[in-house]
Order: sequence, then structure tokens, then C-alpha cells
Amino acid sequence: MSLEDPYSILEKYLSAESYFVVGREFTRVDALEKALGRALFTEDYFVKYVYGNALFVKQVLSPHPHARIKGFHLKEALGVSGVRAVVTHRDIPGVNQVGYALPDQPLLAEGKVRYAGEVVALVAAESWERAVEASQLVKVDYEPLPYVLDPLEAMSRSDVLVHEEAGSNIAFRTKVRKGDVEKGFSEADVVVENEYRTHHQEHAYLETEAALAVPDSEGRVTVVGAAQHPHLARDITARVLGLPASRVKVVVPYLGGGFGGKDDEGPLTVAKAALVAYLTGRPAFIVYSREESIKVHPKREATIIRYKSGANRDGKLTAIDVTIIHDTGAYANRAPFILWRATMHASGPYEVPNARVDGYAVYTNKVYQGSFRGFGNPSVQFAAERQMDLLAEKLGLDPVEFRLKNILRPGSRTLTNQVLDHSVGVGEALEKVSAKSGWFQKRREYSEYNKKAGRWRRGIGVGVAWHGISTSRGVPDWSNAVVKVEKDGSVTVYTGIVEMGQGSPTSSHVQIVSEILGVPPENVRVVFGTTEAPDTGATHASRGTGIGGIGVEVAAGKIRERLARLAGDILGVEPDKLVFRDGRVYPRDNPEKYVRWVDLVREAYAKGVELSATGYFFLPKGRFDDTVGQGFAYPAFSYIVVVSEVEVDTETGVVRVLRVWPALASGRIISPVQVEGQVEGAVVQGIGYTLYEQLVFDEKGSILNADFTDYVIPTVMEVPEVEKPIYVEDVYKYGAMGAKGVGEMALIPIPASIANAVSHALGVNVTRLPITPEYVLELTGSLKR
Amino acid sequence: MRVSFKLNNQPVEVDAEPNEVLLDTLRLRLKVTSVKRGCERGECGACTVLIDGEPVYSCLVLTPQVEGREVVTLEGLQGDELAGRIVKALVEEGAVQCGFCTPGFILTVYAGLKKGLIKTLEDAKKAIEGNLCRCTGYVKILRAVSRLIK
Repeated sequence: MSLEDPYSILEKYLSAESYFVVGREFTRVDALEKALGRALFTEDYFVKYVYGNALFVKQVLSPHPHARIKGFHLKEALGVSGVRAVVTHRDIPGVNQVGYALPDQPLLAEGKVRYAGEVVALVAAESWERAVEASQLVKVDYEPLPYVLDPLEAMSRSDVLVHEEAGSNIAFRTKVRKGDVEKGFSEADVVVENEYRTHHQEHAYLETEAALAVPDSEGRVTVVGAAQHPHLARDITARVLGLPASRVKVVVPYLGGGFGGKDDEGPLTVAKAALVAYLTGRPAFIVYSREESIKVHPKREATIIRYKSGANRDGKLTAIDVTIIHDTGAYANRAPFILWRATMHASGPYEVPNARVDGYAVYTNKVYQGSFRGFGNPSVQFAAERQMDLLAEKLGLDPVEFRLKNILRPGSRTLTNQVLDHSVGVGEALEKVSAKSGWFQKRREYSEYNKKAGRWRRGIGVGVAWHGISTSRGVPDWSNAVVKVEKDGSVTVYTGIVEMGQGSPTSSHVQIVSEILGVPPENVRVVFGTTEAPDTGATHASRGTGIGGIGVEVAAGKIRERLARLAGDILGVEPDKLVFRDGRVYPRDNPEKYVRWVDLVREAYAKGVELSATGYFFLPKGRFDDTVGQGFAYPAFSYIVVVSEVEVDTETGVVRVLRVWPALASGRIISPVQVEGQVEGAVVQGIGYTLYEQLVFDEKGSILNADFTDYVIPTVMEVPEVEKPIYVEDVYKYGAMGAKGVGEMALIPIPASIANAVSHALGVNVTRLPITPEYVLELTGSLKR
Repeated sequence: MRVSFKLNNQPVEVDAEPNEVLLDTLRLRLKVTSVKRGCERGECGACTVLIDGEPVYSCLVLTPQVEGREVVTLEGLQGDELAGRIVKALVEEGAVQCGFCTPGFILTVYAGLKKGLIKTLEDAKKAIEGNLCRCTGYVKILRAVSRLIK
């Protein structure tokens, strides 16, 4: 096997005895630039370099949830001074098809509109004011159609179809069939059955969607835009423009937050700006107002989950029977992938011998379903983890004790019958966090305290979650990067991973290169988020470091092998006995006998040793049978446990989260500070989802609260004490340095842990989100609905 | 209309529309890009500037209203000792993620500390309650600010 074989490189750094940079305190390289206000985001490029020479693009949105488009009247809009173009589907030179999983979605509405907020036209003008004025003068002849807003109603109707060509409002179905469910329930001593409901969530990134497109004389287009996957944005744009992908260049600068929202909307934003630039030959800039952002882009889906589960007197799960219904909205987008993820995680991280899970993604005439931190998993873990508490109660077991009897361990079979051979640290995480939080004692103490029936009640709840790494089932996934050592010894890295706050390219990538090549971090520069780099896949699914970093590790590892051979010759030492550290290369047993990094690099250039490398790695996967939902679901799982402590005011119904204890089993922790940042941010975003954030739709499916006054995200006042995470470093053999993934993790069990804590505090059964004061009072019987 | 004011200690004169907001004047006319556009209705704090030392949402201020007044943005605090300490604390505590809200937080905290209004953690919370952050969960921002009041 070649020394440059990616598997041997991954194995080498996975099993290293110690690390100099990885896992150590590290200040991300973009922090200072950002704190000085110098970091440039998409709109800043427009402001600084193009303003005055670019067209402003304003979107025209449908006011109807469902209507046939009979025609456009554009004369009046085109008559506004300074207006250069009004673009509709008729002007698209390529293909008006941007559907992600299914070919069901136009960039600009064609034939009909399917939700209030759908984009029907783009107006381009010399000034923002004129663009806005003209957008109001675009007349569209609509013939309103009957519409469906409720997914249960949509499932049962065939007379109102969101997509006629689909023949049904069920966009997609998934299923898992494992063992014998009827037999499993017959063996159960206790059975619990509930219907759970969860709601839409808005990403509310502080920076709204934006893109700046610049055409050139050769028929190429360059776009600076806010997207989570530059190569996908490029491919969609090329399809819309009818150009080869190689003629479109996308550069993603710093993003003011993504959370999945710019994974879906980013490519469309980029395509809209590019379309106007391509048609007019002028630079074109689009930025969504906050209202447009909330009305137009996809959301975390609302769900209905029917969950029946049983366990025996030994405290072992015997069967689950779950139906998951996703309110997919107007377009499928990523719904099939979100639904598959929810389906295959429906058991929670537990062994269950018999299972039936049915998933339905259902079209409705509302804003559509998309990626959002957790990707279908927070809602199903909420249901699964409420069930676990209720079963434990019926069995007279403590919730943690009951979970430990069923928790996945190395060698366990998952819901899809996949054997987990390694990297399963969830049991240890649960044991450690229950000890650290004083779980058993608090659980008893609060139960006693609540018996006094005062105004304030206390509760403590646990949420355990798993999250498959990489794409579901056998869907191909890979990593890549280019690493170059320059003549002066500095290092340049090219990756398609973007920087959206999480810091992968500005912390972990730098650390990996610094670790492997022994160069100081300040001599490593990572060029990120560009189609000039190899396609690294999207920055989503917690994969920026765990998978994105593999390419960096492999490429740097290849260069190190070459330089180790060269240094070995120079020093007369076996290459594998060498240490690369602090700009020097030396034998492990004799640090004084060293060659300087810069001299080694000079020698390599003189001797013809190539100092650039790509780090392509294709993730090995197994077989999955879609018809029964059995087989290889994910290469590995990341795990998290959170314990939440709440206080509930029984007079007002207000829930306050006081303290949260997280424990992660997500493989190697490369950048502890960034991991903490991801955990803390996700905890608070999860608290927003669980307690405050709720999109309100009117009777026509239009979002009523498309602003931050009425769509309430947490301020600093809602923040609990978030304890330092416990890390169980259950390294994964094909993750970067053994990392799995962190970004989404802490949000996933937060709804469950808070709902379990509130149920504990009040002695009620929380089955709905968000847990608003009205809902709490309804649960306690103080408010009749 | 002609509007004259001091921006970061330099006199400026702009020809602004009567209904133009300071956010647009700063960004589009004066190329001050640390002031961010987040919501345009006084909800998020990303566009915070100091007007005569007070933190204000520049999206809610009409440019003619700053006639004769002193406007400070993060660009104007480069080299300032207190601002430097705030920046250092945020960077070292890991309180910067996407960075879009960061300039607004720094100006708000700067004004509060300068006027001696932030003495406790509770004061710090009250001071930054009007600035939204969607990445950090505020935990490390609070830790950074608490370091400055110790």
C-alpha cells in the first residue's frame, strides 16, 4: 500500500500518540478581522466596489397560496425611469428547474404559484427605490385556485393538488420494517402511545440572503454570494443560464450565519443575481429584506408524529410503531432526505428489536421545507425521548436508568439493522453527564419540592440524541482539498467548505495543517468557499470539519510523506521516526538534530519533490434497501446528551431554562473553543425553537410575523447557564483526525430535554412544541382551550 | 439635502434624501461597512452606531437628524484603548463566530462601559439586550464582557 494512500494517512493521524495543535486551545484566525469590523460579507463587496455601477434586483412575490398564472403585464413597470429589466420565467435562457431532490421547482414561477411568497419576477433598476417602485407595478393575471394548508387534509384530498403531475399531495414516502412489530408489542408489559406536533422554525440569520453577479465579455459570470455550497450554487446557476458549469464561478465570502437556510436558498439567490447580470450585461446585486427572507426561504418543517412504543419488565424496548408526517409545503426541495433522516433516527439511540416506521412528506400551499440544523431529527427525537420518559414512568424506572438499559453500544444493531462496530460513546456520555448534573438527586429533590404545589415548580429532564454522519443510505459523499507549500514555506489550502460562523476553515483546517506539517498557524492560509477549489460538498450536516477536514488531512499528509522521505535522507533517519513541529523536522529521539522547515522546502523545490497535493477521499458505505429501510444508514453516528433544568411559573405559564449540561460523543475534539461555541449557540437556538419561536400563518398560508418583533428569537435575557461540555472522544476511523461532527448536535435533544423537564415539573405530558405560556396553562388546566 | 456631521472625528457633508436613513448613508455613500444591515426596523442591533456617545440603531435614524452631531462607528475606534480591550476579550473568549453582529455588540458595550453603566453581569445583559446574535448563544459574549467589569 502506498504511503500516500488516504486510508493509511487517516489511520496514521487517528492513532497518533499525541498532538501539538489538534485539541489544544486555538484562536480562530478570522476573529480579529471580524471584531475590528473589517471582515467583508456579500453586501460589503457591493458597497465597497460596485455600488453606482450595478443594478439592484427586487423580487416580486405571489400574494396567493395557489393560483394559475394567466399572463404578465410589464409595461408599466418597465416604464419607470431607471428600470432596465423585468425578468420572468420566459426570459430564462437555460432550464427553469431548480428542484433539489425532485424536478418540481422553478426558479421563477411558471404556470402557477404554489405558496404566498413564491417569486414570480425580478425587477432590475439603477436604484433601489426605482426597483421597489417598479416591483409594485408588475401586474400578474392570477386565477386563484383552491388550496390546502393542512398536511392531513392534503394527504386525503385528490381534488386539490399542489403538483398535478405528482397525482397526489404525498411527495415522498419512507419506511422501516424490522422484526415483527405485533410480536414485539405482545411481549411488552407497558405500552405508550401519543401524537406529537412540532412547528416551523425560521433560521433568522442576522445577514439576509444576498448575491452580487458580474458578467464578463466572454459570456462567463462570477458571483459573490451567500451560499453554503459554492459548487451547488454554480451548478444550479449554470443550468438556469444554459451555460457549462465551468463558465460560472462562485465565491462565498464570510456568511452572517447559515444554519441550513443558505444551503437551500443560497443557490437560488446566486442564480437570480446571475440571471439578471447575464441578461443585462451589467453587474447585478440582490439582497433580501428581512420580510422577504422570512417569507421566501425554506423552513424547518412542521411535523405530526404518531408514536407507539412498548417495553418489558426488564426495562428493554420491545417494539416501536411510528408514523412521521412532514408539512413539506410547496416544493419537495430536500424533503426526501429530511424525511429519510427522521425515519432512520426514529428509535432514538437505542436498541429496538421490532420496528415499523412510515414517513410521509406532504405538499401543502405553504412556504416549503428545507435544511435547518438537525435536519428532521429534533422533532423525531422529541417524540422518541418523550416516549422513553413515559415508558420509564410506567415501569417505575428512573429515566436515565431506563435509557442505559437500551442505549446503543459497540456491537449494537441500529433501527436499520446496521451493526455499529466502533465509535459509540453515547452510554458513557449519558453516565458522565448524569453524574455531573447530580441527576438522580435533583430528580428526587424537585419531585419533593413540587409536591408543595407552590407557584414555581422545578423540573429536570434529559434528552439523548444520535445523528448520522454524512449523507443517508448509500448516497455518495466525499471530501477534497488542495494543499500547496509555497517556496517560502508558507502553506495555502483550497477548500469548498464555507465559513458561516462555525469556523472550520479558520480553525480546524488550520490546526490540521499545522499539526501535520509542523508549520505555525500564522503561516497557513485557507482559501475557502470557492468553486476554484475542488468540490468539497456542502457546509451542512455538521460536516465542515469532520468530513471537510478529511481532504485537508489527506492532502497535507501526502506532502508530509514526501518531505519526510527527503528529510530522512538529509538527516540519515527513518522517515517515520521524524517529528514535524514548530518549523523544524527532527528525529523523535534527538530534537537538536533538525532541519529547518524552510530549508527542507527549498531543498524539495531544488530536488523536484512536488509540494502540492489533493486530498480526495470517497467515504466507504454499505448497502441499504429502501423498500424495507434496512441496511447501512450512515458511516457513523455522532451522539449528544443534554440535561436541562427548568423553572415553571404556574400562574403565568412561563418556562425558564436555568441550566443545561451537555455531553458530546462526537469523536475527536479538534478546536475545543469552537466546539463549545457550536454547543452553546445550538442550545440557545434550540431554546428559541422549543419555547418562543413560532411562525404564524394566516388563512391563506401567508406568514404574518415576518419580522423580529413578532418572530421572537432569544436575546441575552433568555440564556441559561450552559455548562462546559463533557467530551467522550469516541474517534471515528474515517473522520478528520477522528472527528465526527458537532454543528447541529446540541440543538437536536434540546426540545426533548426541556419537554421532559417541564413534564417533570408539572406532572403533565408535553406533546407539542413550542411550549408557550398558553400551552403550559392548558396543560395545567388553568386555561381551557 | 445637505447634511453635515462628524463621522469618526472627521467632518463630513453628504447630499442625502430627506427620507434617507443613516444606515444607508453610512454604508452606501460613505462606505462604512462595519455597520451591518440586519432588519431595517430596529429589531436586531447589527447597525448600531454611537451618536454623541449613545448607541443607536442607524436604520431608525434619518440622516438629516444627525446634522451637527457626532457619529462614531467601529472604524472610528481603531486605536482606542477601551475598544481594544473589548475586541481582545471577545477574540480571546471565542465570542466571535460569523461576526455579523459583532461590531454592533462592541459599540453597545463600549458606550455602556464608557458611561460606567455596566458594573455587574445583570447590567451587561441589560445593555446588550437589544443586540441579537444567532450564532453564539451569547454565552461567550457575556463571559467576555464580564471579564471587562472585573
